[in-house]
Amino acid sequence: MSLPAIKVENVSVRFRPFVDRRPTLRRSLATFRHKETQLVEALKGVSFEVQKGEAFGIVGQNGAGKSTLLRCIARTLRPDEGRIVVRGRMSTLLQLGVGFNAELSGSRNIYLGGLVAGLNKKQVDERYDDIVAYSELGDAIYRPMKTYSSGMFSRLAFAVAMHLDPEILLLDEVLAVGDEGFKEKSMATMHELLSRSGSIVFVSHAVRQLAEFCDRAAWLDRGELVAIGDSEDVVDQYRAEVRKRRQEMRAQGIG
Amino acid sequence: MTTTTSPAYYARRFNDYMSELWRRRDFVWFLARGNIKARNASTFLGLVWWVLNPLLLGLVYFFIFGIIFPTERDIAYLLSGIFVFHFSSQAMSGGANSILQNSKLLVNIRFPRLILPIAFLLEATFGFLASLVVFYLIVIPFGSPLPGVEFLLLGLVLPLQILFNIGLAAATARLAVPFRDINNLIPYLNRIWLYTSPIIWPLARLEALSETSQSLLRLNPMFPIIAVYRTALLGYPLEQADLVAMVAWCVVVGVVGIAMFIKYEGRMVRYL
Repeated sequence: MSLPAIKVENVSVRFRPFVDRRPTLRRSLATFRHKETQLVEALKGVSFEVQKGEAFGIVGQNGAGKSTLLRCIARTLRPDEGRIVVRGRMSTLLQLGVGFNAELSGSRNIYLGGLVAGLNKKQVDERYDDIVAYSELGDAIYRPMKTYSSGMFSRLAFAVAMHLDPEILLLDEVLAVGDEGFKEKSMATMHELLSRSGSIVFVSHAVRQLAEFCDRAAWLDRGELVAIGDSEDVVDQYRAEVRKRRQEMRAQGIG
Repeated sequence: MTTTTSPAYYARRFNDYMSELWRRRDFVWFLARGNIKARNASTFLGLVWWVLNPLLLGLVYFFIFGIIFPTERDIAYLLSGIFVFHFSSQAMSGGANSILQNSKLLVNIRFPRLILPIAFLLEATFGFLASLVVFYLIVIPFGSPLPGVEFLLLGLVLPLQILFNIGLAAATARLAVPFRDINNLIPYLNRIWLYTSPIIWPLARLEALSETSQSLLRLNPMFPIIAVYRTALLGYPLEQADLVAMVAWCVVVGVVGIAMFIKYEGRMVRYL
């Protein structure tokens, strides 16, 4: 068996909300006095592997640590503990609009998106026509992106990301946007990536769609990995637990 | 395996970082041009503001000080100082903003973060070069002295000031991203810096001060930087000490600022 595309080993991320979230001088002086501050553990000893050719989903409620985990894999956030090994060229669509500058035209943003991902200008030149055609934006490509709808925005972002020849694709809540036609097309492109033994890590609250698309999934709950395995099974467990929690809350008269 | 504290380790990391920056030079260039275009699109005068800002500042001081101290009406002295100063003070105020404005980019994609302040500096360099053209358009009709071969010094002092500015922008970003309060202090720091630099008061005024205050004022890196510029732009006599101090300041501030920034950038995303 070949080496995994992504190997996450015992990764922990801790935030000190008092200090890390917009720390001001006053706050850091305050924490200097009271050394003990509350730590929030966004990820607690998470380990898993994503194989080549595999679509891997991550589910969990808000604040479970899904986005933090993706940022660690994208290597924009350094974990406090643990190790992440990524084998292959990675393309990330973590927050919509990625590196785009809304004042600039879609056309110039194609260059911006390609360059930020590490291509040089010539490599973007070669891909430019394909990206425009794929995004189906037509003449809108020359308009500033601030005039785009969110669907147009994400179509261009997806088109750029897929034309970076990724071997690994990280997606955070992106498939929910775009119209039906484009959704189908993007699905086809991703299946093609998988068939070339590329890997996809996929975070979404649309769990039914996620179960359908992914081979395996992991369920994160308050920073801990509570289940990992066949995506249908994990999503079923997750949905059962969410339903149970909601019933409990209703029973306590909150929901 | 080298330990993570040995100088060799840091030298290698620094070297890797710089070659990664160089590999992404198209990106730096594009980002700077993109910022310029965005600026042109969002304000009526666009790029003209790069020249207009220091020019207006210069005119304000010219009128105030020209009226209050009518003897010191040397517009070439004033404007050369203002334009050079403005270039560096822009770096200080723009360094942190270049990071904060691109927070989405930082969260999503890994790349050498120093690209952002460098692209900002590149953009500011265009503005500075344009302001030098405007500078001559203004001072030549006033019959100001012009440089001869000294003009070649610009080839030394300009790259060094850019290095100084990158260091300054990187250091400010390093401090102001986690401590946003610092952003509020920067305008005042810039004001103090302006008044303690030989711009709106003539160098001759220094002689009225005590030895100690004189040497304290001379610790300001703007002192030797402006002095070398005045030689390059206006042919003022140059003291060797100023030349040496200028080179030393620019290299030290540049390297220290960049090192501070690189050491910190792995944690930067946590503060956005």
